[in-house]
Order: sequence, then structure tokens, then C-alpha cells
Amino acid sequence: MKKALILILAVFVSLSAVFGASDKGIVTVYMPSPAGLANKLAADFEAKTGIEVKTFQGTTGEILARLETEKANPVADVVILASWSDGLSMKESGQLESYIPANTENAVGGWIDDDSMLFGYSASAVGVIYNTLIYPELDADWAELADPQFKNDIAIPDPELSGACKDFVAGFVNAFGWDTFEALAANGMTVPGANKAALEAVTTGEVGILIAGVDYNAYSSMKEGEPLSIYYPESGTVVNPRPAMIMKSAPDMDNAKAFIDYLYSEDAQKMVTEAYLLPGRTDIEYTNRSTLDEIPQIETDWSAMMEISSEAAARINELCER
Amino acid sequence: MKRTVIKRIPSFLAVVVLVLMIICPLLSIFREAAFPDGNFDISMAISTIAESENARMIASSILLGVLVVMVSSLIALPLAYIFSRTQFARYRFFDVIFMIPFMTPPYIASMGWILFMQKRGLMQQIFPSLAFLSDWFFSLGGLVLVMSFHVFPFMMTLMKNAMLAVSSSLDEAGAVLGAPFRVRLRKLFFPLLTGNYAIGALLVFVKTISEYGTPSTLGRRIGFEVFTTDIHRYATVAPIEFGKSASLASVLIGICLLIWFFQNYVTEHRAYSLVGSRPGSIRIKRMGRKQSALCWTFIVIVIFFTMLIPLFSVVTSSLIKLRGYGLRAGNFTFGNYVKLFTEDNQGTGALLISIFLAVSSATIASILGTISVIISKQAGKRCGRLIEGLSLIPEMLPSIVLVLGIMLFYNRIYRIVPIYGTIWIMVLSYVILFLPYTVQYVTSSFSQIGDSLISAGRICGGKPLYVFMHITLPLIFRGILSGWMMTFIIAFRELVTPSLIAPTNTLTVSTYINRQFEQGSVGKGMAMAVICILFSTVTLLILNKAISEKRK
Repeated sequence: MKKALILILAVFVSLSAVFGASDKGIVTVYMPSPAGLANKLAADFEAKTGIEVKTFQGTTGEILARLETEKANPVADVVILASWSDGLSMKESGQLESYIPANTENAVGGWIDDDSMLFGYSASAVGVIYNTLIYPELDADWAELADPQFKNDIAIPDPELSGACKDFVAGFVNAFGWDTFEALAANGMTVPGANKAALEAVTTGEVGILIAGVDYNAYSSMKEGEPLSIYYPESGTVVNPRPAMIMKSAPDMDNAKAFIDYLYSEDAQKMVTEAYLLPGRTDIEYTNRSTLDEIPQIETDWSAMMEISSEAAARINELCER
Repeated sequence: MKRTVIKRIPSFLAVVVLVLMIICPLLSIFREAAFPDGNFDISMAISTIAESENARMIASSILLGVLVVMVSSLIALPLAYIFSRTQFARYRFFDVIFMIPFMTPPYIASMGWILFMQKRGLMQQIFPSLAFLSDWFFSLGGLVLVMSFHVFPFMMTLMKNAMLAVSSSLDEAGAVLGAPFRVRLRKLFFPLLTGNYAIGALLVFVKTISEYGTPSTLGRRIGFEVFTTDIHRYATVAPIEFGKSASLASVLIGICLLIWFFQNYVTEHRAYSLVGSRPGSIRIKRMGRKQSALCWTFIVIVIFFTMLIPLFSVVTSSLIKLRGYGLRAGNFTFGNYVKLFTEDNQGTGALLISIFLAVSSATIASILGTISVIISKQAGKRCGRLIEGLSLIPEMLPSIVLVLGIMLFYNRIYRIVPIYGTIWIMVLSYVILFLPYTVQYVTSSFSQIGDSLISAGRICGGKPLYVFMHITLPLIFRGILSGWMMTFIIAFRELVTPSLIAPTNTLTVSTYINRQFEQGSVGKGMAMAVICILFSTVTLLILNKAISEKRK
């Protein structure tokens, strides 16, 4: 009995030691999925600079909530979101620091905003993901998916949780109006949760088709051998750069800037492509997914989309409520 | 004069510490609800409650509570009867088996149910013809079932003990006086048990409306909002509205307190404690083969639904390689377990953090709880009751309310006590939540010590400290250890605290499972769930053994 107590005490002490902070500076980064990429970037940055990276990983919705909770005592230095329009509204409310990062000579046009506050170091697109055991072939356009043959077999990620889906909904509604979403909802479209939960629903066959699913998740599941396939409907989709931003209230401003520089480095960009995301530089090669020029895009008006995105996301959930 | 002042210092300190730990967070909830801008303004709180969706939510929470009470009674009452008054009472191993629903955290059990019942899920893969059940399951009915399956053992144990206390001689007396079985049931058995049943029903009701795990997984699936999920949502999803969260929490506190008062009233007025009846005073009637078979069937059905299905589902899901192909030969792997520890360090980290939190909070809570019990025994009667009452508050209130209070309070005093956003606020929160376990166990082992033992020690010249170390402590040690064990097991899998106030980089077992279930790999999440269940079961067995050896 005594031995057990001593052992427990030893575990306790050694764990407390583990939790102690390192004395080289730190940088606190809030970033969305994929978790694998976030961890790799953090580890590589730590190895290269000796600066400890503290990460909080969550969906875009969770990250925004956390920032709001911590307003009185800011913790975050760098915030990365999966939604460009949410990034723009953070800029609008004056939370961001302007900075000109290194390595951005070849950055994709338009993926850094005019005030140099939003750095789209990577991007994703949403497409139609379908279960090949249920639909061997599929290439229907958005509106055609409201056909009765797909009744109760379509899902969409929760746009209030998934930044990419939110941007797509805003862009689509801005360009084409609500008709298609209303028809899809009337056809029994469901909202199973954030990106991964929605993908899970189509992987297990709970639904056959997922619209507005983020592509990088689908590509990595397909690589593992899941019975999935993805396409981008011909009337176009939204490619949304994922903005990394420096908080004005950053407690470790210099480290935050170093982290942004790092995101545009060749090594970091390579990791981005390994996670099946689109790289933020035009001179990075990748062959594991559709390239940027192969994806048909909707004309995007980001400032108009930013205005409507939150309401549109809530409307989707209302429409699909059972 | 001076002596009495000095004597009072410990109890005064205990009250201050408990007020700081428990009452201040609760007050900051009321402050947030009723003083939105520093001025008293209850209109916002009232308008929050009156908002049609919140009013509907309150109604559906109460409906859920009532339905769960009904369904768990249907499961628990027959079992209580079977295990108290038939030959099944002799099969002690059922006591262990019916611990299983308790060892399986509610969020894991409901994930198991979701994976089992969902469209093209495990059930439909095994029995495609049962597909129609899925639609029915993802509704209020399914939620009520899953919650009842978790909570019924509480009522079963309570009613079993109550029935054991009704001595058979009473029944026989009735029979001798010529009352037929049905009359004896109505005039004798039921009146004696109503009080206990009311207590059990209220306990189940409070547990149900306080529960967060099942509503946050299964309830969210079917769009069924209750108090706990709404409080959580307002406090964590942008746009954050602490005021609304606090208003709802205040209502929930009110409901819980009301029920506890009511329960107290029932305990004092309706519950019979039958003096002189011991478990031995019950004569067990042998049952016929038919009746016995009926009992077996009922027990097996309960075990099948409340334990086997969720466990089967969790274990199977943790072993499936490709989710798209489901149950199919060759699609099984231990890879998820390997990946859990090798793919990144999050899985290992979550396990270590949960162990750290469980060990540290159990240890601190044991020490604090024991001290407060000792002080309350030595303090005056009124003061002692105050200390005991304060330390038991966390048991009476939903943990989400307390954690919200802790969050608001320590966010406010961040400049004085900068623990918000660190791991220590989690330790603190765990200690507060689980303090009552130690207090209850230690109090009950205290009540078994006669005063004469301590007096004897003092007469023989022992200094107070010596008497404590050599007489009191050894006698209450088993109580402390039991409290430590309970705290350890519950803290290890705690979900509410980490999902509200975990600092950056900090995942616990529960948030890891949740995260994997919702946004990562279900296989990895379920592998962690299996490890979590095994870990707490093994800990329980080891510590049980340690305690019973100590007893010898």
C-alpha cells in the first residue's frame, strides 16, 4: 500500500515538472483542423526556432468563442481560421495587426488582403463528396441534387461550425440566391455536425452524398481506402483561403511575426500540400489533389459575403431543422 | 475568553475557505444574471427565460426528467424486488455487474448507441430488417431510454435497500390476520416504500436534468436542447452570452434546490426507518420454475440493453479499419490503438493529463474533505452543520452550473489570482466538484467511532495530535480511501470541466474522445473509450482489493 502511494506521488511530481513552461519564448496559436497539420507545423517551428508553440485546436466557431471569452485577458498571438469572411470581420473590428511577412513574393494573388493583415497561407475548396458503394458514379450539379432520387440522402456540414462551408454558403447565396438550398432542405437534407462528423456520415453510408464538404478531408480518407469520391460541380464552388492573423493584443508579438514568416517558408508550404490543402504560394508543386486552376469557381465578392455569412449559416440550420 | 477564540479559528477558516471555493462562484452566476452592467437589472434575465425557445427548452428538460424517472422506475423496481426478496438476492455477483452502467461514462454509452442505431450502422449491418427502429431511436424516446439505462442503478440500489429493511415478519403478520397478497401489497408494502421511492425518483430527476454527457451527444443529434446544453452553448459558441448562460443556470439552481427541499421534507415525513429489521430478517420464498425463468429473462434483457449493446458497439467500432466497409471479414484491426499512441502525442497527453488531474484532485479533495469533517465534528453544533452543509453543496447542484460559476469568478479576479486558463483552475474545479464524496465517506466512517475510544486515548496521556494519528486516522482511513477512489474514477473521465475551461494544449480523455468522435477518427476515439472503461474498472478492482485487505 505504501509503495503504491509513493508511486502515485512520484507520478504526480514528474507530471508537474512536465507541465512547467520552457524559458525560451512562446507563441500561442489557435488553429482549426486538420489536427495533424497543426501539430506538424508546431513541432517543426519549435525545432527551427526554439520557440515553444502552444496550440488550441478547434473549429472556427470554437476559436471565435474562445477569443471572445478571453477578451479581458488575451492569450492568443496568432489566430488561424478556416473562413476568410470571419477573418475579414475580425479585421473590421480592429483586432488585427498589419505585417509584411517574408517569403511572400510568390503568394497567390488575392490571398493576402490589401492591408496585409490576413495571410491566406493555405486554402481549401468544398465539393460534393459521395459514397461509392451507394453511388458508383455522380456528377450532378448543385441544383440537380434536389432531385427526388436523392431524397433524405444528402447532408451538409454545419456552416456555423465549419468555416469553409460557411464561406461557400455565403458565396453561393450571394451569387445564385436561396432557391437551391431551400429545395435541398425540402428534399430532406440533414446537418450531421462539423466537417469531420459530416464526412463520417457519408463514409459510413448514413447518407450517400455530402454537399459543401471540405476537400482535404475527403482526399485523406480516400487515400486510406474509404469508399469515397469527390467532384466540384460545374456551376462552381468557393475556394477559401485560410487566413492566419496576428492579434493586436498578442502578448508575444515578435514570435507571432516569426510564426507567420514560417508559414510561408518552403517547408511549411510542403506540409500544407501533404495535408491535401492548396498551398499559399504559386511555386509549390503538388499532385495529390485537384489543382487550383482545375476547380471551377463562383465569382466571389468577399465584402458582400462577410455581411451575410453569419445569418446565412444560421438560416441553413433553420431550413434543415427536422 | 481567549481560549474560545483560538478554538474557533479552525472552524472560522474552514467556513471562509468553503465560501471562497463554492459560494463565490455561485454568487458570480447570480451577479452575471442580475447585474449585467453592474446595476441591478433583472429584466434581461427574465426576458432570457421568457424567450420562446428557452421556455420551450425548460419545458422539454422537465419533460425529459419526468420520462426518465418513469422509465428507470420500470427497470429498477422489478430488479429491486428480485434482488431483495427472491433467491436472486444471494447472487452477489450481480452487485458487480450492475456497476457496469456506472463505470461507463454516459457520453461513451450514448456514442455507442449512436454508432449502433444510426442509418447503416452496426444494427442495420447485422439485422437489416430492423432498420425501422433507427428512425424511432433518434427521437425523444431514444434519449429517454439511453438516459434511463445509465441512471436506473441508483434507484435500484436505493429501493433494494429500502425493501431489505421491510422485515418479512410484518408481511407474515398481515397474512396471519387474513389479508390476501394484494391487500398486503397495497396496505403494507407500498405505504412503507412510498417515501423511499419519492426520494429515489427525485434523485433520478435531478441527475437527469443535471446530466450533460448524453444530451450533448445524442440530444444534439436529434436537436433536443436541455438546460445543460444551452448553458454550455451560450458560454462556448460565438457569440458568447454569459448573461443568458447565467440566467438559465440560476433557474436550474432554483429547480434543484426546490427539489432537495422537497426531498428533505419527504425524508422527514414519509420515510420510515424500520428499527430492528436487519437484512437477515427477510425470509426468501423459493420461486417456481416459471417465475424463476421470468426473473432470469428480465435480468438478461436489462443487462443486454443497458450494458452489452453499448459496450459491443464501442469495442467493435474501435476495431474497425475502414469505416466505409463496416462489419466485414478482414476489416478489423488493432491499428486504432496503435495510432492512438503513435500518430501524435495527443492521445498519450490526454491520458497523462487525465491521470494527473484525477490523482491531484482526489488527493487534495481527500485532504480538504477530511479536514473539514474533523473541524465540523469539533466545532459547535450550528457551525459544524454549516461546514458540512457548505461542503455538500456541489453534490446538490449540476456540475455545469458550478463550473460556469468558477469560470466567471476566476475570470473576474484574474489579476489577483491568475489561474484562469491554466491547468490549476481545472484541479480547483475538480476538487470543488468532488469534495462531497470524501465528506460523505469520511462522515460515515466517523459515525462508527465511539467517543470512548478517543477519550481513552486522551486519558492515557495522548496529545490531540497523537490521538488523531494513532486512533482517529486509522479508523477513518478506509473512508478516506473510498472517497479517494470514487473521486479518482469520476475525475478521470470528467467531461463538463474540461469542455468549459480547459486551457490551450490541454485535452483530457473525455474531450479527446469527444473531439475524435465529432471531428477526427471515430475508431481512435472509441479505442480511447475502451481504454478509459478498462482503466477505471481495473482501478476500482485494485483499490477494492486494497481496501478489503486493509479491513482484515
